[in-house]
Amino acid sequence: MKKILLLPVFCLGFATITLSQTFSDAIMMNKKEICFAFMYDQGTWDQYWEGATLITNENIGTFTRATYMPMIAYGITGKLNVLLSIPYVSTKSTGGQLAGVQGLQDVNVAVKYEAFKKDFGKHRVSALAVAQFGTPMTNYLSDYMPYSLGLGTQEVTGRVIGQYEFNKKIYVRASAAYVWRGQTEAERPYYYANGSYYTTFMDVPSAVNYQAILGGWALKHNLRLEASYNILNCVDGDDIRRWNMPQPTNKMEVTQAGFFAQYYFKSIEPLKGFSLMASYNQVLEGRNMGKTTGFGGGITYQFTF
Amino acid sequence: MKKIIAISLSLALIVASVTSCENELPTSFNFSSYEFTDLDVDGGSWQPILLSSATDIAVAAPAAVSSAEYLAELSALKSATQSLTGNQADAVEYWTNNPLIRWNEIALELAAKYNLIPPPNPDGTYTLPTAANPQGPPPFPFAHPPYTSRMLAYLSVAQFDGLITAWHYKYEYNRPAPYVTDAGIQYAYKKNTLPSYPSDGAVIAVVSRDVLKAMFPLEHDYLDAKAEEHLSSLVWSGSNTTSDIEAGKTIGTAVKTAALARASTDKMSAAQTPRPVSDAIKQAAFDRFGWSWDNMESPVRPVGLTPLFGQVTMWNVPNVEDVRIAVPPAPGSVQFETDAKELNNFARNVTEGQRKIANWWSDGLGTYTPPGHWNRRTKEYIIKYEMNPLRAARTFAYLNMAVMDAGIACWDSKYYYHYPRPIQTINGFKTILGTPNFPSYPSGHSTFSGAAAEVLAYIFPAEANAVRAWAREAAESRIYGGIHYRFDSESGITQGKEVAAYAITRAQNDGADD
Repeated sequence: MKKILLLPVFCLGFATITLSQTFSDAIMMNKKEICFAFMYDQGTWDQYWEGATLITNENIGTFTRATYMPMIAYGITGKLNVLLSIPYVSTKSTGGQLAGVQGLQDVNVAVKYEAFKKDFGKHRVSALAVAQFGTPMTNYLSDYMPYSLGLGTQEVTGRVIGQYEFNKKIYVRASAAYVWRGQTEAERPYYYANGSYYTTFMDVPSAVNYQAILGGWALKHNLRLEASYNILNCVDGDDIRRWNMPQPTNKMEVTQAGFFAQYYFKSIEPLKGFSLMASYNQVLEGRNMGKTTGFGGGITYQFTF
Repeated sequence: MKKIIAISLSLALIVASVTSCENELPTSFNFSSYEFTDLDVDGGSWQPILLSSATDIAVAAPAAVSSAEYLAELSALKSATQSLTGNQADAVEYWTNNPLIRWNEIALELAAKYNLIPPPNPDGTYTLPTAANPQGPPPFPFAHPPYTSRMLAYLSVAQFDGLITAWHYKYEYNRPAPYVTDAGIQYAYKKNTLPSYPSDGAVIAVVSRDVLKAMFPLEHDYLDAKAEEHLSSLVWSGSNTTSDIEAGKTIGTAVKTAALARASTDKMSAAQTPRPVSDAIKQAAFDRFGWSWDNMESPVRPVGLTPLFGQVTMWNVPNVEDVRIAVPPAPGSVQFETDAKELNNFARNVTEGQRKIANWWSDGLGTYTPPGHWNRRTKEYIIKYEMNPLRAARTFAYLNMAVMDAGIACWDSKYYYHYPRPIQTINGFKTILGTPNFPSYPSGHSTFSGAAAEVLAYIFPAEANAVRAWAREAAESRIYGGIHYRFDSESGITQGKEVAAYAITRAQNDGADD
């Protein structure tokens, strides 16, 4: 049985942009292997970028977004896996009088294909492609930022991943993705986004995502450690105006660094198949985003039919 | 390899399906040149608002249609209408034969652009926008609902008076449209018998540009460019010759001068009071009633929004105290507790439908405000009922006078009663809309909407039920949003109706209903 790697979602700023690592790692499950995971992530910020300017707003105070994410991954074959995640999100803030919200966010389905894998002695090179589709599960209001559960739009992500593993101990991985986003429907018949819009619909900007990972194995291959560097930038959109609310049309940009650890109980018989995860991440730079610090944890259970 | 193809194909399909449900997002109202139901041939005899009559502004007789001078103008117009560039044709299509609609949209867009509340300084103080230093920061103006109601009133009234004047001289001089005199001239819009001198389009362009320039001093370049394009489109569309346009500009300039003269003395500049005046108003209310409103923001805003907007000169109500509403239920009273309990219920169990109504009418910071929302609806009716520009201007003028008067009346009551908002009186209360920086009673949305609906019901009787239902919905929306008690909304509707009655009485006697 191969070890599956699952990383918690990264909650980035105003709307959650779920970058579950599973959708972007280089791990494949064997045929008929199935993995259940449950992850929790809590992102908080007390400063945000209004356009490119980092500000504090006491009427928001400290903002918290909690994400509970059950997930299933399944090996159709050793080279083709499918993944499904269903996040539940809750938001609140310590300042001001605006009510937080909670509820199911977007269902995400992905297929992951291992296009290439080759060993050179003790080293291994692999290349993968992931196609992912996400859509809101409920009629949540996206135009209630920063509290809204998500961006309220359909998303299609195309991703390529390359990994090089040295001596089966250390690996580097890079991935690049394009996130096509559709429209979201607000509940107001007019909005301003560098001009008038006489409609309830908003174009949600598409985005590019780049990830670089340095990882390694320790404790006889029971512990995996990773350091990550993540960039997610919208390709267009407007800036939050001075002392105004953000909205789904905003050009969100974020650069984030993170650490992650996962321990597999593969040699402890009653716990065989289980793993525990912990993560920490920090937004370093942003635009129209909260300067989020995130902590997460999770558990996975993996077995073969 | 097959799988890669399969994956790419399904990915492409999903992308296609996502993008295919995307709607083209409208940035202006989609309509074309239309035939006017009536030309209002006697429109020049209607009673204007700022002027005593259409003849206040003198417009010289035009050159005869057979004169060499005019024939040269026609010839120039003919060549200008042939072979338009793409941009010129787009401009003709955009401005249409009722360009009042576009200027109303421009006004709404600027309201939304400038409706941003001043942020706190790093030391917790606030700097307010000032006309003396429009660049700021913060930039001038803060186009909040009172400011926007006033901006729209001056714009619409000036347009109306300008068009009454234009109509007067059109039918006095009876110069036919250029395409009537010279059949070789292409006219882009629906043909009618409206005389072309002076150009109604030029009146609208100049008056709108100049009133909006006064209201939005940082937008001169933008407004100049819009007016330039509009004036050019009068030529490109074959609507007017040079002398038509010049006569229209003369009227426009004279009317805007009258409008801005009134604006400069209407006491708006004193509406945003200094702290001591604001404190005295609050203390007076506390002494009178035993309660007062507090701003709940962090850092606290020391002065509410325009405490003396209630003293701004009204259009149609002789004395603001004539329309002041009755004393609200005291905090802690039985009726207060009933309405507070209702708010708590909505805060716990707001339905999706109620949430949608709250957001539909929220018209808060960064938007065109409730006066803008009602202008947008009015615009749609003007097109639906195919009004000519003069009739459309009258509709906007009475709407916006009533809406501004409603704002003045509402603000008078707001600061007279200085009633605390739900977030102040109900412990731990949370809302789904932001609470504005002024007292609660009555609801501004309700007052604006009550007045707007009555004027529209008078002008569009077939829509009376619809517009009154909207007003009630707008009033209700503030309760769902958690920022007003039911008694705020109900009193607001009542007050709005009372204020509108004055505007309607005036409208019934301006000659247009005869």
